[in-house]
Amino acid sequence: MAQQLSDHARVELLAREDAIVAGSDLRLGIHFVLDPGWHIYWTNPGDSGQPLVIQWQLPQGFHTDQIDWPRPERMQSTAQLADYGYHGEVLLPVTVRVPASLAAGTPAPIAADAKWLICREVCIPEHAQLHLELPVAQHAKANPNAAALFARTEELLPRPLPHGWKISAAAEKDDIVLSVVAGSPLKKVEFFPLEPNQIDNAAAERLHPTAAGVSLVLKKSDLLTKPVTVLRGVLVLSNGTAYRIEAPVRQPIK
Amino acid sequence: MKSLRPSLLRAAVVLALMASALAVRVGDPAPNFTGVDSNGKQQSLATYKGKFVVLEWHNQGCPYTRKHYESGNMQRLQKEWTGKGVVWLTVISSAPGTQGFVTPTQENEYLQKMNASPTAVIMDPGGSLGHLYGAKTTPHMYIIDPAGTLIYNGAIDDHPTSDQADIAGSKNYVSAALAEAMSGKPVTDAATRPYGCSVKYKD
Repeated sequence: MAQQLSDHARVELLAREDAIVAGSDLRLGIHFVLDPGWHIYWTNPGDSGQPLVIQWQLPQGFHTDQIDWPRPERMQSTAQLADYGYHGEVLLPVTVRVPASLAAGTPAPIAADAKWLICREVCIPEHAQLHLELPVAQHAKANPNAAALFARTEELLPRPLPHGWKISAAAEKDDIVLSVVAGSPLKKVEFFPLEPNQIDNAAAERLHPTAAGVSLVLKKSDLLTKPVTVLRGVLVLSNGTAYRIEAPVRQPIK
Repeated sequence: MKSLRPSLLRAAVVLALMASALAVRVGDPAPNFTGVDSNGKQQSLATYKGKFVVLEWHNQGCPYTRKHYESGNMQRLQKEWTGKGVVWLTVISSAPGTQGFVTPTQENEYLQKMNASPTAVIMDPGGSLGHLYGAKTTPHMYIIDPAGTLIYNGAIDDHPTSDQADIAGSKNYVSAALAEAMSGKPVTDAATRPYGCSVKYKD
């Protein structure tokens, strides 16, 4: 039984293909369809909340990577509090490495013990034991029930910066200024920090489009006790494209 | 004149709060506050100068708060540290109609039922004390030293989950900070990411 109903979501373990192939990567994902108004969290949940945690039970020799987190949305609850997460529907994909020695015909049951926090005005910890049984075969075809969802989700995953773009960051007294050189002005971008405690999540992002890109003024977190040396995060453009960025932070000269 | 006094006092408190409605940072003086506790008594940070003060943001319905109360963890901390002379102020900033909002009577019943023993519980339904300190989650913990300096701001421990089973293997940041500060050492983890439910502010 792959699908479970929790109190506020429908949760399902899905595979992109219809079979497991020895020596190939297997793309799985946990699919959430959330009740209206409810949300779950990104890997950095922001000021409150908690992201999905999965404990896998896999056949011998299988290994999983981390969750590939799609770009989040910003959820501001008050002027002081902002979280990062997902409304509506989201697939959280994971790649599983399948050993080359796996013989066709071997049963390969996959189970995931998933725990997440779901919130609207209140927060509820939920969990589900999800199962998936796929045949081990020589070849796999796209799973007609999930391939489109996986393809849509890949578009939401942060990718490396386009060739020729440059990013830099400089610390000031209360802010970190992130500069993006893209070759043309960028009017609207959003930055999501991967590390908690670096940026004040709730502070309004101050955007300054430049001839060749944009600069963003990000307020430092109150919880910083030492300088931010590297700023890691996700930059989302107005068309929804998301880029992974990692910028060493230039410190002010004292 | 007599009838004017309370409103003037309130206005003064509001002004004081607005003037300092900035971030509180570890190492800075902890902003003073006044508030009314669940027994109707006036509480003021200034009167506790010379003592360590713990602030604990609380929402009895929040699963993260429940983790630490239903396990008895928070009560153990309250007992241990108030026994060593620490002032423990629990603060409830849930607005009326939101999760965790309680009347003073309901709160006193809860304290008794849970066998909790903070020094006092400050009722902050307007959220001004929560905003003054930038409290984000329940729980969210702060420690102020006897000189009035903020020495800790953050989580209760290093396991940001709602599972009681995680408490045993956790490093409790509040106990660690108090133990270090009381023996004259600097606090190793002085600011951490608080975890839990968002504080249910009115705005």
